[in-house]
Amino acid sequence: MADAAFVPMTAVAKPLRDRRLITRGLDRCSLPVFSAWLAPWFVMLAVGLYATYLALRFGLNQTNMDNRFAFGLWIFLDLGVIALGAGAFFSGFLLYIMKLRELQAVINTAVILGFVCYSGAIAVLLVDVGQPLRAWFTFWHPNVHSMLTEVTFCISCYLAVLTLEYLPIVLKNRRLKQNASFLVFEWELHRLVPLLAGIGTLLSFFHQGSLGGLYGVLRGRPFAYRAGLGIWPTTFFLFILSAMAVGPSFLLLVLSAVEGITGKKLVAADVKMTLGKISGWLLIPYVLLKSVDTLVWLHSTSRQAGFRPWEYYCWKPFGFWVLLAEIVVCGFVPAILLIRRATRSRPWMLVLSAALACTGVLLNRFVLTIQTLALPTLAFDKFMVYYPNWQEFAVFGAVVAYAVIVYSLSYRYLPLFPQEKELNRVSRS
Amino acid sequence: MPRKTHRYGMVIDVDRCIGCGACMIACAAENNVAPAPAGANERKGITPVRIERVTSGDEARFLPVLCMQCEHETPCVSVCPQQAVEVDRESGIVFQMPQRCLGCRYCMTACPYHARYFNWWDPSWPAGMESTLNPGVAPRMRGVVEKCNFCHARLQAAQDKAAGSGKQEIDAADYVPACVEACPTKAITFGDLADAASDVVRASRDGRAFRLLPKLGTEPKVYYRSELGWVRELAERGGGSPEGGKA
Amino acid sequence: MFPGVDGFHWTFAHIFFVSVFLSIAAALAGIVIASLARGGRDIANGRAGQIRWSLDFAELPLELRQCRHAVTGEAPGRICPNAFDCRHCEEHAKFRQARAGQCDNAACGLFYPNYRYYHRGHTWVTPQKDGTLLVGLDAIGEHMVGKPDSVRMPAPGSRVVTNGEGWRMSKDGFEVRVLAPIDGTVVQTGTPQDGWYLRVQPDSHPPDLRHLLRGEEIEAWVSREIERLQCALSPDADTPLLADGGVLMEEFIREVPAARRDEVLGEMFLEP
Repeated sequence: MADAAFVPMTAVAKPLRDRRLITRGLDRCSLPVFSAWLAPWFVMLAVGLYATYLALRFGLNQTNMDNRFAFGLWIFLDLGVIALGAGAFFSGFLLYIMKLRELQAVINTAVILGFVCYSGAIAVLLVDVGQPLRAWFTFWHPNVHSMLTEVTFCISCYLAVLTLEYLPIVLKNRRLKQNASFLVFEWELHRLVPLLAGIGTLLSFFHQGSLGGLYGVLRGRPFAYRAGLGIWPTTFFLFILSAMAVGPSFLLLVLSAVEGITGKKLVAADVKMTLGKISGWLLIPYVLLKSVDTLVWLHSTSRQAGFRPWEYYCWKPFGFWVLLAEIVVCGFVPAILLIRRATRSRPWMLVLSAALACTGVLLNRFVLTIQTLALPTLAFDKFMVYYPNWQEFAVFGAVVAYAVIVYSLSYRYLPLFPQEKELNRVSRS
Repeated sequence: MPRKTHRYGMVIDVDRCIGCGACMIACAAENNVAPAPAGANERKGITPVRIERVTSGDEARFLPVLCMQCEHETPCVSVCPQQAVEVDRESGIVFQMPQRCLGCRYCMTACPYHARYFNWWDPSWPAGMESTLNPGVAPRMRGVVEKCNFCHARLQAAQDKAAGSGKQEIDAADYVPACVEACPTKAITFGDLADAASDVVRASRDGRAFRLLPKLGTEPKVYYRSELGWVRELAERGGGSPEGGKA
Repeated sequence: MFPGVDGFHWTFAHIFFVSVFLSIAAALAGIVIASLARGGRDIANGRAGQIRWSLDFAELPLELRQCRHAVTGEAPGRICPNAFDCRHCEEHAKFRQARAGQCDNAACGLFYPNYRYYHRGHTWVTPQKDGTLLVGLDAIGEHMVGKPDSVRMPAPGSRVVTNGEGWRMSKDGFEVRVLAPIDGTVVQTGTPQDGWYLRVQPDSHPPDLRHLLRGEEIEAWVSREIERLQCALSPDADTPLLADGGVLMEEFIREVPAARRDEVLGEMFLEP
């Protein structure tokens, strides 16, 4: 009778082959399935690395960039991922400095996203410049008047900050933390994380802004040029605000995607809604300021440079719809959807709004990089067309693949989600 | 004793330019520009001076466009992260230092005149062509930006010649950029804009003279001149008839 | 830029810019150096075990962190604020006076003799006549793993600290560490066949055993642990199948579905 109480369950699943590397109590798919997931990303990475090799070996003639389109897909990629990766600094700021404790559930993902975004961006930059071995020149001969100098210094320091924030997460791996030195180093480093978060916030403010400043100071390109406060054009401030607004949205999108792919609940719904709420409330001032800035630019700044405003939008395919899409469809609309609890509490609405917000910021970066260069400046200039070639897409793809691989490995072998055990307790098999 | 400061500039008479391209060829020869490799198009070539064809109805004219040697808040100088560009105080020439250039191409984005060119390839000359190279000018490696520098090597040669004869200042006739020298119709007047008595100052003050995109405030030192009103209207973006596809 | 470069001169902007970035670089370097230095000091002072346990304890789910007095019903719902180190706990001192009673040797049919002190990590401590303390796996621990396939014992002469690592056991390819129940120096190590694992010379005489369970507490604690084991077998239920607990099988870990053995082992021995 006593034995009947303990009916043994047949083993429905064999233990994982790499169980010893995976945090106790967390379910992960089998190693062959995981390898099958990673395989296509490695292929994408390999193709991209080959394209990188071609560019480094033979020169940038391997791309479709030219003298009129000196910045192309890669610069757009850099600006885009840095804007999306802003969730790292902003979540860190909200958690460690503003003490918004519920973000503890998502901070690890935010840090990893930041790390892959910034390391990917720097890797692409090194391929994009004509002489990568001269990268240290900016540090030895800095031009303090150039926004690009500021960007270089800031993102180098910030990558160091992100590495120091990622390191403790890596050291929490089950196997690694058995080593007493690693464990203790991680513990001590984690005690200083608020200081790191503060430095990261300061650095991020400046480089997000300077990336905007890159375009805002171009008096030779009235499409991009903006007046501003002192040496800082309005794009400096708008970039900071848009990055802060879209960071939580991108984080939310990635979390939803990871939950969808893994079929697990990893983060409580109300934390995701909080991320959406933060995004929404930052998008509102951003959209308002951007609208004011656009009007001032079109009617005053641009006219002073001798450029008629609507002329910018008479070239196919950049019609007036670009402004509408950026400010209204992908700015105002997600802002309203995210600040209202009724819309925010529906998961698919939340994800859609976050996607729209991210699209809006990417569109903004695209417009300033590509449309700026496409538009004529001299009276006898033509409208320029540019399409990236396969090598440029391949390198872009390599960065995406790198991000997916690093995140997948982190997801499998590191305890990223403090709420995971709790949320998956009921659905055990 | 320090030399006088100069402001070298040009006035290009559009009515005299026949679009023959001799200036482009002379420039390429003087500055050791390598032949374009297979696969190069006109947007990837290095043409420190380039001829633009402009039309109005049935009429056509040619504008040689080169680095404007902007004097005020020079767009390319302020943006270079390595300080690989600077305005030389003595001559007013905007210098590009290819040895320091990282190849980030930010200056190319900044230049409204599209006067900067990137070395998309390693330069290579067919066998035997090395003997045509100008020994006074260093060729550039791939991955760096270059542009017109008013044949600075010729300025240095003139300064060496003046120093050789014990003079402080150069003889104006000794410093003539290659494009000016090659032009068959003498369309380009070159000289020191700081010298009130020079031809170039007189030509720049001609009522028919104009500069490109003056409202940007870059203060170019390259002037153009034409009797035709529609050519002068090309100074500003809003004045000309835009080429290319409209929405 | 720096002295030696032709035509360069320092402006306020240069000084400001360079100072800001040097300060940031210095701060980052400082953080790394401070962490390494403090870490080195922690290891030298033998604090690694404490740090490890405080990290592990924080990761345990709430129900595993219940105060011993919550388990007995004296302080329902109380979560331990001291990581199971009751020696310095004011609340425990208040409850302690009442805990002198006996328990019968069999709690839920398992061997829990009264002459032993028990640790939440499923070890027992028996004071010996020569002043040393003998440490072994308690009945639940033994029923869980039976005879472990291999053990990794601390070297004689090394220190153990309360709630630090005692030893590591391996069963069917799964490894788990067992918490050390007392402070002291390892004098001798035993084997699973011996029935004990460590002989420890305690730091103080008499040894401080306030944090260990005995007497009437055992029954409540053991039945709670057995409930948890039952839940481990039945995936959907939060409550055990039978009210009376039943009899625990030998090598119980083999009854648990293979995919969950690692997790259950970790839960029972408090290693997240």
